[in-house]
Amino acid sequence: MKFAHTRRSFLHKFAIGTGGLVTSTYLPGGGIISGVFANDAPLAPKEPHFVPKAKTVIWLHQAGAPSTLDLFDYKPELIRLHGTGVPESFLQGIKTSTQGGVTKLIATNRTWKQYGESGAWFSDLLPNLAQHADDIAFIKSSVTIGATHDISILKLNTSSLNPGRPSLGAWVQYALGSANPNLPAFVVLYDDTREPRGGVTNWSSGFLPAVYQGTPFRPEGSPILHIDNPELLSRAQQRQALDLLKKLNEQHAAAYPSDTELRSRSESYELAYRMQETAPEAVDLSQESEATRELYGLNNERSRRYGEQLLRARRLAERGVRFIQIVSGRTDVAGEMEDWDAHVNIEENHGKHAATVDKPIAGLLTDLKQRGLLDQTLVVWTSEFGRSSWSESGNGRDHNPWGYTQWLAGGGVKAGYTHGGTDEIGLQAIKGTEVDTYDLQATVLHQLGLDYKRVIFRNQGRSERPTQTYGRVVQEIIT
Amino acid sequence: MKMKRLRLAIAALSLITTAVVVQTNAEERVAKAGDAKVTQDAAHAAQPKSDHWSYQPIRKPSIPQVAHKEWVRTNVDAFIAEQLEAKGLSPSPDASKETLVRRLSLDLLGLIPDPAVVKAFVEDSSPDAYEKLVERFLASPQYGERQARKWLDLARYADSSGFQNDNDRLNMWRYRDYVINAFNDDKPYDRFIQEQIAGDELFPGDEQALIATGFMAQYPDNSNSRDMVQRHYQIVTDITDTVGEVILGQTFECARCHDHKFDPISQKDYYSLQSFFSNISVSDNIPVSQPTPWDAAYTKAAREYEEATREINAKIDAVIDLDREEALKYHKERYLTDTREAIFKPESEWTALDRWINHRLGNVTGRGSLINYFEERARSVDPEFHSDWHAEKLAEIEALQGELRAFNNLRPAAELGSNKITAMTELGYKDAPPTYVLFGGDHERPLEEVQPAFPAALTGAQPEIPDLDFSSGRRAALAKWLTSADNPLTARVYVNRIWDQYFGRGIVETVSDFGKAGTKPSNQALLDYLAARFIESGWSVKELHREIVLSSVYRQSSAERPEIVAADPENRLLGVFPRRRLEAEQIRDSLLAASGKLNPEVGGPSVFPPLPKTGRSGADSRGQNNMWRVSQDESLHNRRSLYVFTRRSLPYPLLDVFNMASPQEAHSKREITTTPLQALTLINSEIIYDWSRALAGRVINESGLDEDANFDQLYQILFARLPSDEEREVLKNFLDAQEQLIRERSHNGAEEIALPTGTNVAQLNSFRASAFVDLVHTVANSNEAIYRY
Repeated sequence: MKFAHTRRSFLHKFAIGTGGLVTSTYLPGGGIISGVFANDAPLAPKEPHFVPKAKTVIWLHQAGAPSTLDLFDYKPELIRLHGTGVPESFLQGIKTSTQGGVTKLIATNRTWKQYGESGAWFSDLLPNLAQHADDIAFIKSSVTIGATHDISILKLNTSSLNPGRPSLGAWVQYALGSANPNLPAFVVLYDDTREPRGGVTNWSSGFLPAVYQGTPFRPEGSPILHIDNPELLSRAQQRQALDLLKKLNEQHAAAYPSDTELRSRSESYELAYRMQETAPEAVDLSQESEATRELYGLNNERSRRYGEQLLRARRLAERGVRFIQIVSGRTDVAGEMEDWDAHVNIEENHGKHAATVDKPIAGLLTDLKQRGLLDQTLVVWTSEFGRSSWSESGNGRDHNPWGYTQWLAGGGVKAGYTHGGTDEIGLQAIKGTEVDTYDLQATVLHQLGLDYKRVIFRNQGRSERPTQTYGRVVQEIIT
Repeated sequence: MKMKRLRLAIAALSLITTAVVVQTNAEERVAKAGDAKVTQDAAHAAQPKSDHWSYQPIRKPSIPQVAHKEWVRTNVDAFIAEQLEAKGLSPSPDASKETLVRRLSLDLLGLIPDPAVVKAFVEDSSPDAYEKLVERFLASPQYGERQARKWLDLARYADSSGFQNDNDRLNMWRYRDYVINAFNDDKPYDRFIQEQIAGDELFPGDEQALIATGFMAQYPDNSNSRDMVQRHYQIVTDITDTVGEVILGQTFECARCHDHKFDPISQKDYYSLQSFFSNISVSDNIPVSQPTPWDAAYTKAAREYEEATREINAKIDAVIDLDREEALKYHKERYLTDTREAIFKPESEWTALDRWINHRLGNVTGRGSLINYFEERARSVDPEFHSDWHAEKLAEIEALQGELRAFNNLRPAAELGSNKITAMTELGYKDAPPTYVLFGGDHERPLEEVQPAFPAALTGAQPEIPDLDFSSGRRAALAKWLTSADNPLTARVYVNRIWDQYFGRGIVETVSDFGKAGTKPSNQALLDYLAARFIESGWSVKELHREIVLSSVYRQSSAERPEIVAADPENRLLGVFPRRRLEAEQIRDSLLAASGKLNPEVGGPSVFPPLPKTGRSGADSRGQNNMWRVSQDESLHNRRSLYVFTRRSLPYPLLDVFNMASPQEAHSKREITTTPLQALTLINSEIIYDWSRALAGRVINESGLDEDANFDQLYQILFARLPSDEEREVLKNFLDAQEQLIRERSHNGAEEIALPTGTNVAQLNSFRASAFVDLVHTVANSNEAIYRY
């Protein structure tokens, strides 16, 4: 019951404290950073349940739901049946919409090849990622609930169909604390001009204390709100002001000698002052080499922005951030800004989105490997659901929560391995091999050294766990 | 049989006046099950099956005899003193008058007091000076605002629907204002609950009671869900769980999936409770019958826009009319199997659930849903589906939409609200969709059907469902039971919430769980005393606040006492008053009030103050996509925080960082966490820095050019006290050093410096005045400013 804190107990605990465990950690870019943690502070580092395989999770959410049928799940039968009706036998047990009809199967204009020792299939949309065939563990029998993006994204992130539960990153931060007091432990990056839809719902702390909520880093300019001092207040002025603040707070706290909360609040200003340097530095790419920039696709306008987010992710991982969630953005498809949600024009949509993410993701895997970080970094490529085998429009695909592909790499998963599969037309997962979002979450927690059934928060008398009462660790894909 | 049940129910109702039984024997103060000294018949009817403490009737305990007689001001004190004395501890003396007035103002009004109020109270030497202050605050409209915020936390109040689309809900402010008015008018709590659960059934024709049902309409929703059968279940679940948690302090949802061995609430109990809500639907377009001034402004603007665009809209509709039936059919086909069946059924064959689904279809189908059909046929490359004719018509529609956009500047701004009401009703029908026990909580796996019933563990009473011709009457029966004295939970739960507001910890710590998994009361006699008094007073919320704030335990000093720290380190016995960090709204509102900028207007549509700027462009990416349209009228930027538009996907950053309530579900307790992001916000926010400049200007206006007088006034405003000599010295030294720094900086680069605003700066030494701005900003950041003592 290590993590069974009551909500009440947080009243007297703080993000940072004094008089507790002092940690000194070598962190790149920052030299030696001494952080002051209280043992009972909510962000103090906590021991996992068992030896972890991964220290960091990089969670690559492909927003809008790519068609994995056109990326990884090679189905010769679907190609053969292109343009014909869906045989009734494939539709058993699923609830569908009839809009535009579910009758016509579609294959896109792909060429397919097997790669690596493992012989994993990749379509021509992902030439760079294909080079990592032997680093990846595929889950080709993913299933979820929901026919609309919002419900299924919520479920992917929070294990619930309704808002209100904590997201996985919040649970991780709650269970493990922060490894770097100068940065949030749960960071959200996004490749777009606006925040992902649903905003905070995607990285909410739910009923956990708000301190565990994800911190979105803006893609350009100042990464965190309020990190810059007011225009007319210089840094030197601010330093003197903080010195005054410290004196005032000390005088005031003299009447409350045992009140650690007051002293932590005072200390939080010093931390804030340091964060004004450390947070921008953590995502400053100017010191990265030309080779690295090329590796992440920064020299190509289509992949530049997404590549920058992934390069930031690597820098954050190096600095001890535990959970980095990267939401892919929109691109211009047939005159409109679209994410992967290709109900129409799938050729153009997937062509552009694949070109946006292919090189950066491959670059991230290469870079992590070269730096010896892939072993301790779990990369998760996921989406809210997949896409249907039929077309509603003639040149796009509808949603498919019944069978699609996700993959993991690094962090103790089997490299070059494939779990499960779908039927001959790529519609439904093969029975007995299904992996639900709950299972994915349980597996990620397991790789971080956490038993998903023992990560517990007492919420108003109720024992809450990350995946509610569902899920299992997908032992088949881990070493 | 039926007669007998009716009689029993009537007998049970008669308990309302007898269940609060005064017991004199101190040993029996905490009553056990079976001690009931009430009429046997009636007791039998209402008898809880479970012996769990909170399900037993409330008995008003006798007042303990204590040694600290002179300390006891209200009966509350006797219960506190009894526990302190048992540990050999004594209570603390009263706090200073300065501390008290600031504490009371923050607690009752949510704001720091104005120096004039502080001065008047400190100088009032009459013996009832404090009582007069309490009455003054209770009569202030700001009291209702503060208490409303607490209730809105529980009601999961929001001005938007949540999920990804996060649509506006522009009528919801009426419900918020209803709550504010209820507290200001001291509406009895039982009536307050009845209106929110069954205002439509119990008080037909009462517009405020109809608005009150907005409590149930606060569920997060996604209008584009393709599975409305599932939506019905999720919405009913949300309402049931909210009512259970907020009013009864029961986390019933645990029983949704299966029975729990030690929990007296069974799965059948849970679904029986759900069935009370099975027939309610939301309506967003009920015209207002008693317009407020805001409605008039909205109606005028809406009419202007409507008139300007009438012709274009008629043309768009005419194009859609060319293929309206097919477009609607296409839209309906997007729904999943069982939803689709309900939608395509002729109305004559509708079941109650079909009716619910079709009403929802009407709510979520707009012109865009129909235009979508033209788009799909235009865009499709499937030769059978693609249509050049639709592409042509779509081009016409798009051209007209372009014309429409030219009138966007005439569209009523969101800050004007609406002239409609949102309410939950049963649409005039009395037959409700059946409710089943669901295997594992899965709505696709129904087991036995259940009827409306109260949890047997809590009561033996049966719902007395009135025969109404426009509604099932189910919620009327539920609301009556919730607020009858048969029900020991409603009063206990609410008084405990109020106690928690003041002392930071409820008598029952798990404020929304009085069930088996919740904590036991730390002082049940006190809890029951307050609950019994609450019912006796006619459920007067103001009387409850009075009882607490007039007590000595509330008036105690918060100064640390080593003997308390040693004997009761968590201060559970309340030997000192617990200091507490201000809540998000208290922080923003107090800093606004200090700056002199606070707009004190009460009520009205929600407002959009500016978001913090980020990035090189200075724009905030979250403001795009119409999610945050900053109010054009700048005076609205400085309204109290409870009027800031509550967008579920975009909580207002200045409030969010200080643990504001999450509106996704009932928010029972504000957490207190201390983070560097909070420090960054208070020190770096341009908005707050501007308030500090205004506060500096105000201080100069009110206390002249004498620096000592300036310090005095600043401290009076923020802390309701004068600075000490040590503090003066520190402040003075800072001014000297900061002035020097600003002077050098200015000479180096000759950049602009921050001066006080709202005052005549020509009379000031500008470097010293700029240093004073920094001083004010720093003092406003200090712990004392952000805490209540």
